[in-house]
Amino acid sequence: MKALEVRNISKMFPGNLANDNISFSVERGEIFAIVGENGAGKSTLMNIIYGIYTASGGDLLVNEKEVKIRSVEDAIKLRMGMVHQEFMLIPRFTVTQNIVIGDEPHKGIFFDYGRAVREVRELSERVSLTVNASALVGDLPVGVQQRVEILKVLRRGAEILIFDEPTAVLTPEETVDLFVTMRKLQAEGKTILFISHKLKEVMEIANRIAVLRRGKLQGIVNKKDTNEEELARMMVGRNVVLEIPKVDVEVGAVAFACHDLHVRNKRGYEAVKGMTFDVHGGEIVGIAGVQGNGQDELVNAMIGFSHPVSGSMELNGKNMRMVTTAQLRKEGMSYITEDRARRGLVMPYTVRENSVMGQHLGKPFSKGIRMDYDKVGEFAEGKVKEYDIRPGDVYDTAGSLSGGNQQKLILARELSLPHNFLIASQPTRGLDVGATEFVYRKLLEEKKAGKAILLISLELSEILGLSDRILVMFEGRIVGETTPDKATEEALGLLMLGVGIDKKVQS
Amino acid sequence: MSESNFTTKFLKVFGIDNQGHNRRDPLNVWVPLISISLALVVGMIVIAASGRNPFRAYALLFGDSGLIPGGSAWRREFAELLIKSAMYIATGLSVALAFKGGLFNIGAEGQFWVGAIVATFFGYWAPVAHTFGTMYAALGSFGWIAQLLHGAICIIMGMLAGGAWAAVAGFLYVKRGVNIVIGTIMLNWIAWFLITSWLVTGPMTPPSQTFTSGSFYVTDTAKLLRIMMPTRLNTSILLVLLAAYATWFLLYKTTIGYEIRAIGYTANIGMETPRAQGINVSRRILQLMFFSGSLAALGGSFFILGLTYQFPNTATMGYGWTGIGIALIGQSEPLGVVLAGLFIGALRTGATSMQVANIPKTFSNIIEGVTVGFIALQVAVRYYLVKIIQHRHSRANPPADQEAAA
Repeated sequence: MKALEVRNISKMFPGNLANDNISFSVERGEIFAIVGENGAGKSTLMNIIYGIYTASGGDLLVNEKEVKIRSVEDAIKLRMGMVHQEFMLIPRFTVTQNIVIGDEPHKGIFFDYGRAVREVRELSERVSLTVNASALVGDLPVGVQQRVEILKVLRRGAEILIFDEPTAVLTPEETVDLFVTMRKLQAEGKTILFISHKLKEVMEIANRIAVLRRGKLQGIVNKKDTNEEELARMMVGRNVVLEIPKVDVEVGAVAFACHDLHVRNKRGYEAVKGMTFDVHGGEIVGIAGVQGNGQDELVNAMIGFSHPVSGSMELNGKNMRMVTTAQLRKEGMSYITEDRARRGLVMPYTVRENSVMGQHLGKPFSKGIRMDYDKVGEFAEGKVKEYDIRPGDVYDTAGSLSGGNQQKLILARELSLPHNFLIASQPTRGLDVGATEFVYRKLLEEKKAGKAILLISLELSEILGLSDRILVMFEGRIVGETTPDKATEEALGLLMLGVGIDKKVQS
Repeated sequence: MSESNFTTKFLKVFGIDNQGHNRRDPLNVWVPLISISLALVVGMIVIAASGRNPFRAYALLFGDSGLIPGGSAWRREFAELLIKSAMYIATGLSVALAFKGGLFNIGAEGQFWVGAIVATFFGYWAPVAHTFGTMYAALGSFGWIAQLLHGAICIIMGMLAGGAWAAVAGFLYVKRGVNIVIGTIMLNWIAWFLITSWLVTGPMTPPSQTFTSGSFYVTDTAKLLRIMMPTRLNTSILLVLLAAYATWFLLYKTTIGYEIRAIGYTANIGMETPRAQGINVSRRILQLMFFSGSLAALGGSFFILGLTYQFPNTATMGYGWTGIGIALIGQSEPLGVVLAGLFIGALRTGATSMQVANIPKTFSNIIEGVTVGFIALQVAVRYYLVKIIQHRHSRANPPADQEAAA
């Protein structure tokens, strides 16, 4: 029996056909994956199915009956549920409160918390998803929070579950747990739509895989009959080398060095607890670690957003502990951020205006206080061609570009600044295969040019593929140093989770 | 779209191009126009509901607003319109400039009066006034040079003081994290009572006069030159147009403006992008507040040097508040602020003659208020405009054509 069928669905935004005549059907009890690059139309399609958007044309069938889904309420009534990438949870509420919110058991006008807790426990036992019903959600690890989100959806009676890039926020271990959960749900007869652009995961969990490219359905394949390379080809329409070529460069002088660095986070707790490392010219040093182990604070200190409380930090031999971002930039620091909207670009600014920020003072882009926008325009035009930033109009706002093109714009800007030390903080986060490959190529070119590169990433394959040396970061410390030829993903994964480290010795 | 072409061409006439801008958004023009039209309709309903003839009311309101040439009183009305508008445009520019940097300078009122009192002081203070008086007499037919210089000194000192007054709020914001709205609004009242309850009832009043007479009068050389006899139209409108051009130039042609707009666009998300690019955000915010305050103070100096020639005890607040509305109607763009300032100036000029025909002056206030109300609802106005455009677009180009084109 078909749980869900999509017939000739199209969605048009002004000037952009986001979904073009898409048709497929999903069997009950199936895990059906939808893959595609960013901007391929996956999210649009899910939002149509879940009632957030209405389609410009086409029909939806649930349990082989034609339905009209005009709102999320309609979708929930049809027993659908969506687990969003960004959780819709209230951190100060307990697990129970979060799960029952919107449909609370009550006695008269009073909230019946006792019954709510019992309901949540029953539910969690029935589907064997263990949670502590009275824990505060804000105290839970991300993986468990996601479980709460899933329970919330199940409590509303969802039979069709949509997972929107659920692994983006998880550690490798949590991802394994999630897949166990998904298989359990499948065994219970639930139907799962799994949105992703991580091919490895899709190959592991899905029964069938639909590939979208530029709003069009490229094909639906059985997992048994395909492989990662074929899927990648379908996604980007050409052969993508996912293998990262090795580049051997002679290692140069120390560019960046820090010794016993201690950094506090915004709330005043020490998040970096004594890190010592250096980065030489012509090498990529990778920092592997699970999110939230002090990487953000380390980066903030290195770019001058916060001053370390103790320890030393040197760039090209100069003390940089108490300096401003401007001084670091002047000394040759460049920074590629994962948070493109917040830290990388001014979204309402045009490509042109964004392309020179940081080098807009002085020649050639200004004379005195006067900006020379003609020069800025020429520069931007050149960079748009060199970095193949699409759609290629320098008057487009940065916000209108896709994630991959935004990152290209950031690269274009940061690499054109005079620099010898490059901080790349999760440089491929949220990027599709094509853009990821582009970033890798650029980083390797930088290495060839003798720049010192610090790569901070949550993606082990990226760390292993690009780095010359790997530092493993856990709870604000370096807990291991290795090289890619000696390390395996498993061993690194354990180190990242702090397994095998004697904490007493460390502290 | 033809609207945007028209806008571009229209702006080209004034030598204003798209340099440094995002591509022009025709909605920036349509939103205020639609808001004003809706407000006029609401105004008609209100007037009709009060048992009066709305057409007659509007005929009087706009007929005597100075906007429409003709009639015996037109020259005088036109002069009044420009005199009023000059002050509103100044405070409007002040608020708009701060908006561009993501700051809500609600203190244009206080900065206006600080500018006014300092301009007054340099207008009568003997060491300055006497020097220029002597110079005027000595220069004979070139006396206007002394007038220009004295006026300029009064205005510049007023602007410096108003700028410094605003920079205090900027300093509190940058160094102590005091919200700019709170800081500027507090400084409004401090300025107002410092002036009205102390300076112009004490140290700045002639001893022989009573405490109700206001400050000393500025000397003749400090007064703004009249440019359209016999009306009292003075150079303030020219100066404010110059200030509007300077504001536009600052925002769209200079490195400071480039940084200020980047700060403004990211103000609600922590300004991390400009900071990460090495921009000194704190210094720019201080400078921005200074520029913003000095623009409001320019309006204050017009009030003294062009109209009252002293700080009168009858002065009432309102110029700075009006500036907020004008910045909103003008979409925080200097050209928009000029047009919005003229619109509000016209309403206020015409309101007086409406009153003569027994239609309360407050009706023009209602139109002003409702216009700002609709502007504040601009998200909604934009939303429906976009819907209409999309609808027309999709009717003109059915999906099939789109596909072929893509």
